[in-house]
Amino acid sequence: MFFRNGVSAVRRRPGFADGAFLVAACIAAFSAGAARVDAREIHGFAEAAFGPKIGGEGKTRHAGFNFLESRLQLKTLWRPARENKWRAELFSKSDLAGDRNASSVQMRIREAHVLFSPAEWLDVKIGRQILTWGTGDLLFVNDLFPKDFVSFFIGRDDEYLKAPSDAARFSAFGPGASLDVVFVPFFAPDAPLRGERLSFFDPTLGRIAGSDARRVLIEPAARLDHTEAAARLARSYGSAECALYAFRGFFKQPRGFVSSGGRELFYPRLAVWGASIRGPVARLGGIGWFEAGWYDSIDDRRGTDRLVENSAMKYLAGYERDFPNDARVGIQYYVERMRNFGAFQRSAAPGNPPRAERRRVLTLRLTRLFRFQTVEASLFAFYSPTDRDAHLRPCLSWKMSDEWTLVVGADVFTGRRAHTEFGQLDGNDNLYFRMRYSF
Amino acid sequence: MKLKRILAALAAVLIVEGGVSAGPPMDGHAIAERMILAYYYPRDDAKMAVTMRIVNRQGQERKRRLVMLRRDLKDGGEQSYYLHFLAPPDVQGMSFLVFKHVGRDDDRWLYMPALDLVKRISAADRRTSFAGSDFSYEDISGRDIDEDDHAFLREEAIGDRAAFVVKSAAKRPGESEFAYRLFWMDTATFLPLKVEHYSPQGKLYKIYETREIRTIGGTPTITKAMMTDLDNGRFTEIAVGDVSYDVGLSANVFQERSLRRPPASWIR
Repeated sequence: MFFRNGVSAVRRRPGFADGAFLVAACIAAFSAGAARVDAREIHGFAEAAFGPKIGGEGKTRHAGFNFLESRLQLKTLWRPARENKWRAELFSKSDLAGDRNASSVQMRIREAHVLFSPAEWLDVKIGRQILTWGTGDLLFVNDLFPKDFVSFFIGRDDEYLKAPSDAARFSAFGPGASLDVVFVPFFAPDAPLRGERLSFFDPTLGRIAGSDARRVLIEPAARLDHTEAAARLARSYGSAECALYAFRGFFKQPRGFVSSGGRELFYPRLAVWGASIRGPVARLGGIGWFEAGWYDSIDDRRGTDRLVENSAMKYLAGYERDFPNDARVGIQYYVERMRNFGAFQRSAAPGNPPRAERRRVLTLRLTRLFRFQTVEASLFAFYSPTDRDAHLRPCLSWKMSDEWTLVVGADVFTGRRAHTEFGQLDGNDNLYFRMRYSF
Repeated sequence: MKLKRILAALAAVLIVEGGVSAGPPMDGHAIAERMILAYYYPRDDAKMAVTMRIVNRQGQERKRRLVMLRRDLKDGGEQSYYLHFLAPPDVQGMSFLVFKHVGRDDDRWLYMPALDLVKRISAADRRTSFAGSDFSYEDISGRDIDEDDHAFLREEAIGDRAAFVVKSAAKRPGESEFAYRLFWMDTATFLPLKVEHYSPQGKLYKIYETREIRTIGGTPTITKAMMTDLDNGRFTEIAVGDVSYDVGLSANVFQERSLRRPPASWIR
């Protein structure tokens, strides 16, 4: 079993973030030359949120509601009072959340990093951070940074779709072009579905599972040669922004089976090469974008291993424009074309869920602001004609004042088949209410 | 000292008077052109702190605080703007970058730090309110001189300042909120003192008023102004402080890098 080489179960150590924060603090203190810190401000929010399920099949551990939580977020930026040589600054943002569905109050460090410039043309960010690039709107091709789709599907704020990475980011700025290189020494996957809040298709059972899910996820071991690397080279030509991307690491979702008929799933090795362009659309007005990525499934390049995801080409085209009265419309077309589809079909075992060679997804975003931009009504819809499934996200948010915001929304999933991305979530329709005080 | 001050005042009066009487600028287009230069393009670059107070019919107040950097590539032409929001708390830390173009849509980017997301924003509609205030994008960054027909109407005083009154009618009325605007432009500085906005039905619906003009580094600058929305009984007060001109902002400041990492030397 060659693909198990170097892959072993690893428990995430919660202490790591604190360690990273301490290291970051030390670096900052050192580079600041122990200068007096005066630019200290604390911002954040306190939020009460409730996410009841609608209907649902009661398979999950938490059957009545997804969350009933109180959350306090604190963020602060320390910038030394005197301009120091490396212009170092320190940022931290953490959440303290108490959820009726969790046994204890949880503290999560979302960001804790130091940012400094060893040279005029170089920014270095080390520590826990949120990383995003690419052109898609809630669709990702070259953004291989971890995401929390559980939070996304149960109706937490969009902010929580992006999960933090413990990483080092180097950004170099040259005349007309910029290069970003990110190293992630500690693998962080997309937040996996576990059947606690959302039921999902467990391939080891071949059916929808909730608290009875039995798949075991095996993350790559914390080893130096498992460090993930991602790079982006960006340059503008007039108003058009072009970028090239490269990534080497692991799939962010468990796309490999350790053995046929076994319960263990792992994260196969992955390399991605991609490109994007984004800019204004002549005559029509608005913004258009196109992005492509070649997913090279290193552990199954020929597509003959039915236990490991095949390589694929992914394409994304999008367009968005604004209209009078604060209205905004966006559409996207996404295609994922499996490579070596013939080999995939030949090696598939009876009972394996069928797959299309080309998976297509369409998205639609409608947004309109009312009452002097204090009320926002929006709808985001995913629809896949090949998987025949859909996910609808209507949302209404009201900024009652500069401090208070009230949000009401829903997540609706529908699909014909149990194993498709949104179809598997069919029994997880939910509502959510959030009330937030920002300071 | 006193003599010097008197001489300076005398010189100022002579220059202003000279500006008015030399070649009668009773041409609306020429006055509007000078207004655009004085209001939107003073000097080569600028840094300022902007505070907005938005008050609705019920007396509820919302505040916006931001730092604005501006750099002109060509007077009356291309410009770059960088805005960094300090308040309210839900937008604190967000940055906004605008490349203003003439004859085509501006380029706009918004950075949302919580998502590390640089979002490109469609700028097809410039009537949109700026940050929920009574100022539209158009009010903040101006219209191309050729988008309106400018006609000089008369001279009239606003308070103790003499003003040229110019009617600027939109050439393509469907693309702007107003059918025409009446400008009262200070004969001394060419800054707008008052602007009345008229709907296609000829109804006055929005009034801009300058409340304070200060001379900063030799450049007359509007430091307090107010926009009143008559239909909705709302108004927005805007105050500009900490203004400095020609501080040496380079093109490097107006890049994605600054969205992600606000240039501390200009923002603090």
